[in-house]
This record gives sequence, structure tokens and C-alpha cells, in this order.
Amino acid sequence: MITQLRFELRKLIRSKGFYLSFAALAAFVLLMLWGFYSYAQQKTSGLAGEQFKYTYESKSYFNGLTFALYSLIFAFSLVIPIFVVMNAGSQIAGEQRSGTLRMMCIRPVSRVAIVLSKFLVVAIHTYLLMAFFIALNLLVGLLFIGWGSLELYPGPLNLVDQPGTILRDEAVWRFFYASFSGAWALLVVAAVANLFSVLFENPVTAVAATLAVYLTLYIVGRIEFFITLSPYFFTTNMDFWRDVLKPEIPWASFNQQAATCGAYIFGLLLLSIVIFERKDITN
Amino acid sequence: MWWKLLVGGLFVLMLTGAFCLGPARGGDPSDELGRQDQTARRFRLMSWNIGYGNLESETRTHSEDLPAVAELIISNDPDAVAIQELTGEDQLKILLALLKDRYHGAAASIGSSDRVTAVLVKKQPGKTAMPRFENIRAADKFASAATFRWTSQAPEIVLISAHADAFSASRRRTFIAELIDWTRHGTKGKTTLIAADLNFEVSTQKQSHLFTDNAKHDSESYATLLNDFSDLARGAGATAVNARRIDYIFGPSTASAARAEVLRDAAIGRMDHWPLLVEIDF
Repeated sequence: MITQLRFELRKLIRSKGFYLSFAALAAFVLLMLWGFYSYAQQKTSGLAGEQFKYTYESKSYFNGLTFALYSLIFAFSLVIPIFVVMNAGSQIAGEQRSGTLRMMCIRPVSRVAIVLSKFLVVAIHTYLLMAFFIALNLLVGLLFIGWGSLELYPGPLNLVDQPGTILRDEAVWRFFYASFSGAWALLVVAAVANLFSVLFENPVTAVAATLAVYLTLYIVGRIEFFITLSPYFFTTNMDFWRDVLKPEIPWASFNQQAATCGAYIFGLLLLSIVIFERKDITN
Repeated sequence: MWWKLLVGGLFVLMLTGAFCLGPARGGDPSDELGRQDQTARRFRLMSWNIGYGNLESETRTHSEDLPAVAELIISNDPDAVAIQELTGEDQLKILLALLKDRYHGAAASIGSSDRVTAVLVKKQPGKTAMPRFENIRAADKFASAATFRWTSQAPEIVLISAHADAFSASRRRTFIAELIDWTRHGTKGKTTLIAADLNFEVSTQKQSHLFTDNAKHDSESYATLLNDFSDLARGAGATAVNARRIDYIFGPSTASAARAEVLRDAAIGRMDHWPLLVEIDF
């Protein structure tokens, strides 16, 4: 298992997709920086003050931590999952497509070890993506915008019901926690992609099918016609990761949602293992 | 085999956690508030938009509903009522008559709108002092206010009934900013209450968009109100159809709601709001 994991890690590090995912996230941070900077300029200029008398948007509100928060929340739902799915969806199906899966399976390593080591590599990649993205946002925020406390208001990010503040040092810790909670939530999508990777022989099909399921549930869960269905979507459970960025972390619901995500992760992983063990690999 | 058992074990563990963990099921927070001791005399305030939903040909108050509205007010016996979406002074007169002369009331100027807000203040036995009614101009709309003394010991209460724009978050924000300005200058030393249909939601449950300017304006409006007031009916839940909490009662930060309840079986005809009833401890 350990040897298999080492092989898989080596394959990950040598793949271009691995570096592409980090480069794409870095590009997203630059795009966010431009967007945030121009928005902050517009909202703190004299013209905005003439239009509206009261605002919480001030020079102290627009700081590096606010930037990191916005960037992370915007990227988490629609950008980071793409790279997680690309990696997870191509793990087994990619090997099958290139004809190496059959060769792997005739070696003295169990099929369970193959699936688990591949999923562990996906988990490591997912955590690295989250940690890299958060660290880069905080660094860019610190260098280009400056730090302060994290001020939260109800409305735009749907994060809090009443205004609140997280002091600077505590907020940095919260971002650290978010790297773990975010990675855990993303592993649900990774587990779906892993299952499709076992089911389909083409990695493109596995990735497209996972993204289709994810995006459909994500969008449908946000349309109020389906308000009664949305609690049963895994995309709704995945939102638990943001709880660590609330002034008071709601631990009870956080733990419950994290456990629900865990049930999805291990349930889908178990299903992938069972199917893969019975799979007839003919090419 | 062992690996499979480990994954299976983790799956069962997580599944158990998903069912067993979670917030304690204490029921609806409004029910909790509603069950508290009601023997102490508290200020009872009702806010109600009695207009109809957007799909109706006439979205303002229907006069034929007024007897039922009056009956509900009488049965709940609030000390004051903030009403929104009356067609004008005439409907207010009908309502006051249906309330069997138990309330004083005044409606705001109609301005450029086609509907008005009104405030009703219950007549106190043995008291002849009339509430002082005012028109508040905020942006391009009017709100109505009543200043009155509820008990001889307590400071005067200023109750404002307001109705913010349903279609523009930017106009809502301007309206609320001007309303706040009025309370800052016009109600010094008095207890100010704002009962209003503000037409915005700031719930964490609604995540239809990542970020919009409209959500941002409403966030600013709510934050501006919370600078000076506390949201007394926060736990009462949805006040309008489609599970929207868009009716609010704000009071001073020293006040607390002993009871905050949305009377969900009280809508009449095709009304799209339910009455919001709050009992306040000052």
C-alpha cells in the first residue's frame, strides 16, 4: 500500500495537470485582486459617499483578510472543484484509457490498495490546492491591501445573520481551519469523480459526468423551487466548510455536516472499491 | 480485506455521526419566545402589511378584508399596530371604526406612491392624551409615526410604520438611511420602534447568488439599522410567502422581545404577509 502510494504520488508530481491547477488558481487570485481593488476604489471614492449616506465599506473594511474571504468563497464553489474533479476523475479511468491499469492489476498489489492509494493522492492534492489558495490569498492580501480585522455583515456572502468581527490573529487561524474543512468538503466531489472513474473507461466522461452532477445539484439547490429538496443534496452539506469563518462557529451543525460529508466520502469510496474489485479489465 | 473493513467502518462511523450529531432540536425559536411567562405587562406591538401579492390585479389592501383585519387586531389586543399598504385615509377610517373606537390612528401622506402606511395606538382607559402623529419624509416616500406615552413612568415611545421599496435595493437603502437620520434627530430621549415591511432578506439560508449589488445594498441597510437598533423579531421566522423574512420590528438595544411570533394562520384573502407580533420588555 505504501509503495503503491509512493508510485501514485510520483505520478501526480510529474503530471502537468498538477502544476496547471496551481497556476490556474494563482491566475484566479490575480483576477480577484484586480476586481477587489477596483471595487474597493469605487466604493470608497467620493462619488459613492454622495450616493449613500451610511456604509460599512471603508478603508478598514477592505483589507487583506476580507479579500481572502471573498476570493476563497467565490473560488470554492466553482473553480477549485474543477481541478479536484479533473484529478480524481482521471485516476482509474486514465490508467484504463492509457492501457496501464491491466498491468497494475497483475502486479502483487490488491485492487483495494490501488483505489485507496489513488484516492489518498487525490486527498493530498485537494488539501494542497486549498492550502495553496488560502496562503496565496492571504499573502497577496497582506502585500497589496494590508491587514486588519475581518468584518462580516449579513447579506452578500450569506455567511452571518448579524454583523460581527473576527480579530486579525483569530481570523488567520480561521483560514487555517478552512483549509481542512474546505478540503474535507471537496473530497465529496472527489469521491463522486472516483466512482465515475471506476465506472467509465474514459477519463473525460468521468470528469464531465461528475461536473454535470455537481453543477446541477449546486444550481438546483439554489433555486427556490427546490427548497424542500436542497437539504438532501451533497452540495448543500458541503457548505459546512464556511462555518469556521463565522464569528461564532456553530460546532453542533458543523460536526453533523462534516460527518454527513464523511458518510458520502467513505460510502462512495466503498462502492468504488466493491465495483473495482469485480471489474473485468479487458484492455 | 482489512482496508475494506476500515473504509466500511469509517462509513458507518460517519453515518452515525450524521444522524446523532447536530444542533439540539429545541423547536422553532419563536415558539420558545411565545411560551415564556406572559403575566408581566409588556408592550405588545403588531406589524402587518395587509396588501395582496404581486400577481393580483389590486395589490393594495382590499376593503372587504378590513373586518377580518380588525377582528384579528382585537383578538390579539396589541398596544400599537403598524399597518402597511392601505390605499389611503378612507381605509384607515373604516378600520378605526371596525376597531370599535379602541385605537387612535393616522396614515402617512401618500406622496408619489399609491399606498400608505399607518400607525394605530390603543386608547388607554382613563387617559385622554392623544398620541402625536407625524409624517416622515424619507427619500421619495413617507412613513407614519406616532409619539405616545404607554405608561406614566416610561419614556415616550415613537413608533414608526414604514414600507420600503419592493423593487430597488438602492432605493431601499436611501429610504432607510433617511429614516435613521430622522430617528437620530427627531426622537432624542424617547424609545423608538420601527415596524416595517422592508422588502429585503439577509438570511444565511438563501444563497441564490455569490455576490450582487442588490444583496450588498440590503446588507448595508440592515447594518445601518443595527447600528442604532436591535432586530427584535430575529427568531420569529418567515413573515411572507416563499419563506421570506421581510417584515421587521426594530427597537432600542436595551429592549428585548419576550415573545416574537408570526401569526401564520392569520392571512386573509390573498395577502402575501402574515402579522408579526412582538411583546417587548423595555
